[in-house]
Amino acid sequence: MVSPVSDAMIRLEAVTKQYPGTMTPAVDELSLEIPEGEIAVLVGPSGCGKTTTLKMINRLIEPTSGEIVVAGERVTEMDQSELRRGIGYVIQQIGLFPHRTIAENIATVPKLLGWDKARTNERIDELIDVVQLEPEMRDRYPAELSGGQRQRVGVARALAADPPVMLMDEPFGAVDPIVRSALQDQFLDLQHRLNKTIVLVTHDIDEAIKLGDRVAILNVGGILEQYAPPSDMLREPANAFVADFLGSDRGLKRLGLLPIRNANLEMGPVVAPTAHPQDAHRVMEQYGVDWFAVAEGKRLLGWAPGTALETAPDVRSIPLQPYRTRIDVGSTLKEALDAVVSSRAPMTAVFDGDDYLGMLSADRISREIVQ
Amino acid sequence: MTLVAEAFVDWGWIGDNLDEIWDKVAEHLVLTGIALGVGLAISLALAALALRFRRSYTPITWMTGTLYSIPSLALFAFLVPITGFTTLTAEIGLVSYTLLILIRNIVAGIDGVPPDIKEAAVGMGYGRLRLFFEIELPLALPVIVAGMRIAAVTTIGLVTVTALIGKGGLGFFILRGLQRFFSTVGSTEILIGTLLSVVLAVIVDVGLLLLERALTPWARRKVA
Amino acid sequence: MAEFLTDLLAWFGDNWSGSTGYITRTWEHLWVSGWAVLAAMGVAMPLASWLGHARRGGILAISVVNVGRALPSFGIVALSLPVTIRIARNVPFIDSGLGFLPTFVALFALALPPIFTNTYTGVRNVSPEAVEAARGMGFRGTGILWKVELPLASPVILAGIRTSSVQVVATATLGALVAYGGLGRYIIDGFALRDNVTIFAGALLVAALSVLTEVAFSIAERWLVPRPLRNVGTQQRPEAAASVAR
Repeated sequence: MVSPVSDAMIRLEAVTKQYPGTMTPAVDELSLEIPEGEIAVLVGPSGCGKTTTLKMINRLIEPTSGEIVVAGERVTEMDQSELRRGIGYVIQQIGLFPHRTIAENIATVPKLLGWDKARTNERIDELIDVVQLEPEMRDRYPAELSGGQRQRVGVARALAADPPVMLMDEPFGAVDPIVRSALQDQFLDLQHRLNKTIVLVTHDIDEAIKLGDRVAILNVGGILEQYAPPSDMLREPANAFVADFLGSDRGLKRLGLLPIRNANLEMGPVVAPTAHPQDAHRVMEQYGVDWFAVAEGKRLLGWAPGTALETAPDVRSIPLQPYRTRIDVGSTLKEALDAVVSSRAPMTAVFDGDDYLGMLSADRISREIVQ
Repeated sequence: MTLVAEAFVDWGWIGDNLDEIWDKVAEHLVLTGIALGVGLAISLALAALALRFRRSYTPITWMTGTLYSIPSLALFAFLVPITGFTTLTAEIGLVSYTLLILIRNIVAGIDGVPPDIKEAAVGMGYGRLRLFFEIELPLALPVIVAGMRIAAVTTIGLVTVTALIGKGGLGFFILRGLQRFFSTVGSTEILIGTLLSVVLAVIVDVGLLLLERALTPWARRKVA
Repeated sequence: MAEFLTDLLAWFGDNWSGSTGYITRTWEHLWVSGWAVLAAMGVAMPLASWLGHARRGGILAISVVNVGRALPSFGIVALSLPVTIRIARNVPFIDSGLGFLPTFVALFALALPPIFTNTYTGVRNVSPEAVEAARGMGFRGTGILWKVELPLASPVILAGIRTSSVQVVATATLGALVAYGGLGRYIIDGFALRDNVTIFAGALLVAALSVLTEVAFSIAERWLVPRPLRNVGTQQRPEAAASVAR
């Protein structure tokens, strides 16, 4: 009997894989829990057993010992083919069937499951739309598609029977970097809508940080070094191996995960149009700058140098220049920092659409890392 | 040697013997077809065995290779004391010669299926049989058909030799011509038998090529 | 069965000597085969190496393989006879158009395709870098052919000669049909007399001679092909060689 000790969708309990004739195990007593609807990324150097671990979940590789439970069922007690038909599987080389059209490729698992024609066809159309392929690709052969398109067909094929669990082995490894980044964004977007439980293997730590709700860093011999949400891991690496694997720029990497929305914005040297020139002098002194900006409610009107105050009778009559260093609140702190360091302004203005929200300085951003 | 006729070919002979020519062409094709069909069936079984149990591949190629290296007349001669001057003798010999080429090409074709495609199929829940018939076999088809073409052309040539054990298709004309080589009819018969055999081989070769094209539409369309 | 084996053994004891004995027959068999292969080498190799060196005539090389494969050896042997009969009648110093001559002509024709194709592809497929390097060291056209291309192509060329020879030895069996001797004599005569012992003995001798030819060539390849180039020939054999139905 399986006792549901947690609500994890996938549970690995002390899973070990030892190949015959080898001294050390490929995976050593690995335990992991992946909650429903989350993306867990397995990452590590080559020989860390990440792909072996993935393939043990759908039993392409049989574990030597330990237990793997998917949706409350022990995989070793299930029929192999049935288990696999219930799990989406995407590999690096994609492995589309070259002798079948795109539609037939997508229909692979529905056909194995014995869906009727109408239902399968409806599903094909739906998926072609979901992965943003053109409908006329339906009857093409894989050889006629670009690398990025093939990758999307691979994802569509894995999604065809709407499996709750997906396994992805270096799914973006075979496409060039620009396409990869776009595919990753599209994939995250898709996941927000579909909420699958996904185990993804990669050797690219940046991809792991970008995609993972949780990241498992594995060391050679299948030893789990740390399993945590990426921002926790970047703030507090469990040991030197993890810190080293995350890289020397892990502060910056963490900034890339922190949304501006959650940061404390500053007022900045900003005054209302109705303010007295002396208020302007006061905020400039407070922030140690020789310029000030003017805002009226949620509208940032512009900025002027401190010297403008000498000749003007009041703030309202000062001619303002547009404030060009700006960023959307949906961006990350890393992007905000980039906006600051790549302009001459010491602060970036944060907007939500057209609404001005506040300012962020490099100093303020660096304090956010520590929190 | 004044007995020998001056003219080499009597084109009128063709028109006078059309019915017999058609009969022999048909016989030639039937002998070839049976040999290829049986050869393919045996080769598929042996190739499947070789793919399942790798260590059996070497003895299988060794055995079929030895059969292949025996001169055709000797092979038929080995069989005649056992099976007599029969179609069975002819077919055993003809089938023997198809095996090496077909098995080698089937195994090479299936070995050539990219591993990622097989992994994807198995990962989605394909069983062994389904993988073989729905993925491996169709993808190996171009290489298998290439083997079929060589086997077919070789067999069509060999069928003529079976005239010596009383069968032969177009080989019948060659043998009868040989028996009256000094006459124009004789040389005409030899020439027509040989030429038609070559023509048959070319037609069957091209036919198999077209069949392969028709069966593998995916191989033709590529990214521009 | 036991009786058949006894008869067979007796046959081998009774028929080894004399003008119809199997020693003479084997010699006849090898004699016509050897001349046919040598003649084919003399014609095919110069032409093919020149074409390969000039990197011309690729389509010709492919057609030669395909046509070679489609030729029925029985038809070619038979066809030679009315041809050589007519030649003999018109050329004074050839006294017979039967026997050796038609067998030789047929075997020569059948030996050409594998030698031609393998020599051509062997020379043609020598890496352009090696040719370039030779040119850089001052070799000219024929020097490159003799000192670089032919040595590097030697395993493939030898494989072609091997394929031809094995085929020729096999097909020489049919020489009996055009009044030549050779080991085919026993099979053809046995067929005519429905004499199973002679048929079977002939088949054994023919099969043994073909196998020995194969073996002789694999030993020769070990001796003749420089070690670093070994295996090249055997790997290319199934693709490059033209095999004729025999």
